[in-house]
Amino acid sequence: MADISYGWAGYIARVNLSTGSITEESDAELQKDYIGGMGFANKIMYDEVPAGTDWMDEENKAVLAVGPLTGAGVPLAGRSTWATLSTFTTDHLVVDCHCGGQLGAKLKFSGHDGLIIEGKAPKPVYINIDDDKITIEDASALWGKGTRETTEALCKKHGLDCCVAAIGPAGENLLPYACVINSRSHSAGAGLGAVLGSKNVKAVVVRGTKAVNVADPQMVADLSDYMIAQVLGSNNNHVVPSTQQSWAEYYDKGSRWTARKGLYWAAAEGGPIETGEPKPFEPNTMGYRCMKATKDLGPEAEKYTVKMAGCHGCPVRCYAQVKHPTVLEKTGYESMGNTCVPNFPFSSYMQSMMKVPGTAAEDGKLTEQAVVYNLLIQATVDDLGLWCNYAQLYRDIAHTYVDGILERELGDQFAEYGFDQIMAGDGTPFIKILTDIASNDTKNKPISWIGHGPEVWTKQWNDEGWFDDNRSQLINYRGWPVHHSIECFGQVGGLYNMLFNRDDMIHSAVNFQGCGLPIELKQEMGKEMWGEGSVDPDKNYTPINEAKVEFAWWSVITDVLHDSLTLCNWVWPMAMAPAKERSYRGDLDLEAQFYTAVTGHKVTIDELYKAAERIMTLQRAATVRGMRDKDGKVGCNDMRGVHDVITEWVFTKDPDIEALTPGTDKMDREDWKKSLTLLYKRFGWDEKLGCPTRRCLEDLNLKDVADDLDKLGLLGKDGAGYDDRTRTYDRILEKYCGDNPALDA
Amino acid sequence: MKENTALEHVGSGADHLDPFFTRRGFVKVSGAFVASMAALGLLPETAAAAPANSKGKVDFYATPSHVLKVNRARCTGCQRCEMSCTLKNDGASQPAAARIHVNDGFYYGSELGSGDGIFYSMEWNVRTCHMCKTALCQTACPYGAIRTEENGVRDVDPEKCVGCGTCVAACPWHMPVVNTVTGKSTKCIACGRCADQCPNGAIELVKWENVNHSSGPTRQENPLPLVSEQQDFIAGGKLA
Repeated sequence: MADISYGWAGYIARVNLSTGSITEESDAELQKDYIGGMGFANKIMYDEVPAGTDWMDEENKAVLAVGPLTGAGVPLAGRSTWATLSTFTTDHLVVDCHCGGQLGAKLKFSGHDGLIIEGKAPKPVYINIDDDKITIEDASALWGKGTRETTEALCKKHGLDCCVAAIGPAGENLLPYACVINSRSHSAGAGLGAVLGSKNVKAVVVRGTKAVNVADPQMVADLSDYMIAQVLGSNNNHVVPSTQQSWAEYYDKGSRWTARKGLYWAAAEGGPIETGEPKPFEPNTMGYRCMKATKDLGPEAEKYTVKMAGCHGCPVRCYAQVKHPTVLEKTGYESMGNTCVPNFPFSSYMQSMMKVPGTAAEDGKLTEQAVVYNLLIQATVDDLGLWCNYAQLYRDIAHTYVDGILERELGDQFAEYGFDQIMAGDGTPFIKILTDIASNDTKNKPISWIGHGPEVWTKQWNDEGWFDDNRSQLINYRGWPVHHSIECFGQVGGLYNMLFNRDDMIHSAVNFQGCGLPIELKQEMGKEMWGEGSVDPDKNYTPINEAKVEFAWWSVITDVLHDSLTLCNWVWPMAMAPAKERSYRGDLDLEAQFYTAVTGHKVTIDELYKAAERIMTLQRAATVRGMRDKDGKVGCNDMRGVHDVITEWVFTKDPDIEALTPGTDKMDREDWKKSLTLLYKRFGWDEKLGCPTRRCLEDLNLKDVADDLDKLGLLGKDGAGYDDRTRTYDRILEKYCGDNPALDA
Repeated sequence: MKENTALEHVGSGADHLDPFFTRRGFVKVSGAFVASMAALGLLPETAAAAPANSKGKVDFYATPSHVLKVNRARCTGCQRCEMSCTLKNDGASQPAAARIHVNDGFYYGSELGSGDGIFYSMEWNVRTCHMCKTALCQTACPYGAIRTEENGVRDVDPEKCVGCGTCVAACPWHMPVVNTVTGKSTKCIACGRCADQCPNGAIELVKWENVNHSSGPTRQENPLPLVSEQQDFIAGGKLA
């Protein structure tokens, strides 16, 4: 290596399981245009996996990638992105599977920006990466084991400092809802576990001892200190506490800044540790702000809380760490805790339909029973490597039970699943229900159809009307549910839920919605960032306008950017801040400043947004290339008519209230059509069809993609030119950012 | 409720020179003097066994100005300390070369079966330099590459270090690390950057005190059996 590579390790490993060949290739050519993470992974999938490939085919690949900021010391840069073909949504098109934990950082420290897994092994294997040394090892002794035991066995063999990313029985059994788990509870979903299972890959083991070179280490440190002191809030970048506190001008009970006096990590070693009142400008109390155990599991969880934890390199500690004697007794596992759906699968997604007595007190507070139900499910799914399609698994189990579908379809087996026991206060039967779903034995255990996703099971069980029932929360007929949708700024949330081939995993908008600042202030801030009229109060939406579309575009673009850099979009972007001293304004230039300090290449946030737009449009092109039209032919550019179809319930809910009036988040059909048109325009796509056009592809330096689509007859027409549709974000909040150390640099 | 005050660092008795040398700073003495001191039982055998440092002089007995104190119950495992340490001291982010160690115990504690780590007790050790007055890393170095700085803290002279790892072996806690990229050893210089960046205040840079005898758990007294010896997956698939 002649030149030092800053930020990027500079190499991607390629493991071909069919031939056993293991190679490394430079990623220097990809860095500028595709950044890393989602960008690298999608570029490789586009170039190497032909349209029409099925997820189980040997030709499908699983590509893991990290970005220049991963492991470089930048706050919240501990994530990683995989891309592969979807196992559970229509046409099995390209999807991103994100995970935190330690995997991304360890991969970077091993000297790799990515890992391409291709082909298919003849027998169970795992891939062992030990810095430069990569080998394919026999995994036959691990096949059939859960993710916990697999991790332990591989750490025992290769070192306790290895990160193991493993599939469980769900992935081995090729269940479409299978994930890859690293670090006990960090899941990369979207069916990735089944893809690895189809390739006979039980695990990826990574040990990394190398350095991430940083061009300006002092600036990375200074920017980190500045960000942590005054810009960063709590989980989801909520910037006010959840209770009234003397130091804070505002509070909001929905906030994830849940620390308060008298609330403890009560099961901490050596005695309880008070979360207290951590404030802005206190970098050494940042990690107490988010008390997630009681936030998710209810007040009874306090006594089981050991501490919080989370991903590599993140000062926001959002992962509950709890131990519960009943769960230990029933599962054999001492340590529990999560931050996402597995922390509240029962109480947030099943209870509203199942109404199990004893789950919540009269005041609505969750009970001890809720703690046990949630943790039992959590322990089971993470060990099985069973993914939930952003809670759809739980909504579908509850619905098929309460509406008699399971009883009708499962025959005599129905009684074995113990729903009566569950309704009577004992959650133990969830272990069998979930284990049988993970078996993927649809012949002998038909309950496992639920693990194929609603697109499959609703047909199997003649329940396609479920998509149009607002209890399902399914937002797109291709098989994915809401991920902060119309309840999040109306059309804004609705729009970004349409664009991917799974739930969107976008938090840029919902973080702003839930940050805890008053709506008047948020509207003022929204005006500065996206234009006047961009931000509506909850359930009080005005018709679509260009500012809202800008907000939707920005939400998509920042998410894609973070998944590429890789930063955590569950907290980034820094659109707001907890410090009153800066009028609660965030700092939208930080991604670019960190990128510049780490890589030595000076960029503005607008250049990074453009790269993210390139990555989004590339995935859109891959979708156009692989999607089947109404006649089943591969290749279809009618994104509006075939892909971006929102489910009916968003137009029919709240029958007594008119859409776009106070009191509802119901959408209006004409307004929605216009919303799509404006979003397509903002991206430079065909305003009628919603597919990429030559002009927009060439504006984004994707001429080869334009030529590909042209040959296939799939290019859209016209499309707005880049300069005509693009605003400038560079330094728009500068007047609030006087302490930013990079501004004078 | 009573506030948590747990500390780690279990004593090893390595610093039994304390009563003899009380002044701060450092004393340069000859190898012969070390040998005679050892013969009188005033120095550990390890010191006498390595008399020829720093061109015939041995640097030790210095009282470092500062030391890190940790409370592992407060550590949430983000490992920002490791990255911050190496960004400041090596100009790159490289946890495996950090002078403070969290990542190697994060999953399973000090060893598999310790009952620690996120898979068991959810506690793990934050391993830091004890800032020994008798720095065995220093006395053991065959190249005299570990210096005593003005503040009494030992650091590695990269010009002299050959990366042989003797210091790693000599340290009772194996705190120095030979950097796999540079091939040089590194050890803590009490700069405090890790403590600055700790989001939970689990690390504090304090005026030197003997931390060898501070008590606190570094493993579970009654660890649970290993899951790999117990079950194939959740409840062995046998339950319910």
